Amino acid sequence: MKIDMKKFAAWFDDRLALTPIFKYMTKKEVPQHEHSFWYYTGSSILLFFFIQIVTGMMLAFYYKPTLEGATDSIGRIMTELPLGWLVRSIHSWSATFMIAFVMIHLLAIWFTKSYRKPREATWMTGMMLLVVSMVFGFTGYLLPWDDLSLSATKVGTNIPMAIPVVGKWVTQLLRGGDDVTGDTLTRFYMFHVCILPLVIFAILIVHILLVQKEGMSVPLKDEIAKKKVPALPFWPNFVLREVVIWFVLLGVLLTIAVLFAPSLEPTADLMAPAPEGVKPEWYFLFLFQTLKIFPANMGPVTGEFVAVMLILIAVVAIFFLPFLDNKPEGKKGKVFQYFGVAGVIYAIAFSIWSLL
Amino acid sequence: MRKTRISFFLVMASLVLAPLAAAAQQTGAPPKVKDKAQIKGRAFGSPLARGLYSRASTAEVDPLAKPGAPAAVEAAVSAQAAPAQEAKPAPALTRDVNTRLSTAEADPQAKPGAPAAVPPAAKKPAAKKAEVKRTEPIVPAYSGIKEKTAVFVFYVWLWFAIAVMIYFLRLWIKEADRVYWAKYYEPEESPRKDNPLAPVLGD
Repeated sequence: MKIDMKKFAAWFDDRLALTPIFKYMTKKEVPQHEHSFWYYTGSSILLFFFIQIVTGMMLAFYYKPTLEGATDSIGRIMTELPLGWLVRSIHSWSATFMIAFVMIHLLAIWFTKSYRKPREATWMTGMMLLVVSMVFGFTGYLLPWDDLSLSATKVGTNIPMAIPVVGKWVTQLLRGGDDVTGDTLTRFYMFHVCILPLVIFAILIVHILLVQKEGMSVPLKDEIAKKKVPALPFWPNFVLREVVIWFVLLGVLLTIAVLFAPSLEPTADLMAPAPEGVKPEWYFLFLFQTLKIFPANMGPVTGEFVAVMLILIAVVAIFFLPFLDNKPEGKKGKVFQYFGVAGVIYAIAFSIWSLL
Repeated sequence: MRKTRISFFLVMASLVLAPLAAAAQQTGAPPKVKDKAQIKGRAFGSPLARGLYSRASTAEVDPLAKPGAPAAVEAAVSAQAAPAQEAKPAPALTRDVNTRLSTAEADPQAKPGAPAAVPPAAKKPAAKKAEVKRTEPIVPAYSGIKEKTAVFVFYVWLWFAIAVMIYFLRLWIKEADRVYWAKYYEPEESPRKDNPLAPVLGD
């Protein structure tokens, strides 16, 4: 029997109304200028996110989120399942790459001032995606249930305690009790595989729709000069260029995943003291060091409270950056540019300091 | 402006390299163990080395005694070898150079993993040893020069495949650009003019 592919496609098109979407994709254009390279970081994040979903599902088939089974199940994944060690390594490294690219993407937008009107909401959803990605990393770090992850989670979930009124409640909500126990592990697993994916999908859809609605930004100086920036069709010209970058990134990811496959420490002992040299994941290092440099007490309040409040204020300020930097072409705009550079230097310096 | 751009590039480069270096430091350095021989065993079953080594199923012996659980392998081997020597001096489970449990010497005709290949006397102590808590980390490592070579062959193949695909993609991009600049499809004035998502998102 011969299948008429045209009829088949027409049936799908009729039911799903795909033609307008394809038509839109062919008409969508991407500006070409000196900063166009940064556009590719957005699609790279999607690539790593897709890898996270696929490898995460593969790991979830065998992972057991219980005190007795967590470490052993990962041990089984690493030692018994075909390519299990590689899947785990790719999942771990892909998370690192994804968060690094989210940060690069946000910084690129910061320095090119692409958050300016009318893209404020796009920036804010991007910030939300960064925070959710970091929470993803934080919840995933505990899942192997080894000494280091247990201690790091104890420190991490203790931080909200410094927030007045709701602090204790937030900590209990995260831990599923007063201390980090097996309930915390189960809770973190649920956050990691169920709640956070739903949240990130919702924000991601809004973010992508906003990018489509507002289009891609052009450099500020071209906008001021009202210069017409040359553009390239999204399909196929831009997509093909993106595929080249994806191949290179996949190669780099696979190479690193094989060369630096993560090990598995012995099972955590809830009664044992915290091991020396407890450190969080690399993207929390500067926050960790910031908390460490504050003294125990600063007058009537604790040093931790001051540090947490400063971090919260900084996060809120960055979230509302498009409204604070509402005149990006003036002197005020330059000040925010310097703030950005100072922030990056601070984060790198404190991360290195934390490792020493 | 130029200085800003250079400094921007420098900080971006540092941002990329710093986490990678940090994570590599965390994952790359294997934890110290007393007996290095324990971690030299195969910690993962690489697909690249499929068929290079004789595989043996230890499912009947000890669930922990699998390649990659060196401490458990040691424990299981010693536990099984000792009673086996008492009961029957010659054939017993042996350990080959790749830290694998091999049952080949127990009975040449028996298939790996077959219950008969395991001496009956060895079963009980092995079951007891299954409860031993793992104290050493599982560190992925090459089992030998063959596997190391196989991994490097894989790298060469991977990057060669990527290079070939990029070569063809480059040709495709050139052609797509040529068609576009030649205005073959003659795009309309504004891409947003006929925006099909406008009813949902507004224009």
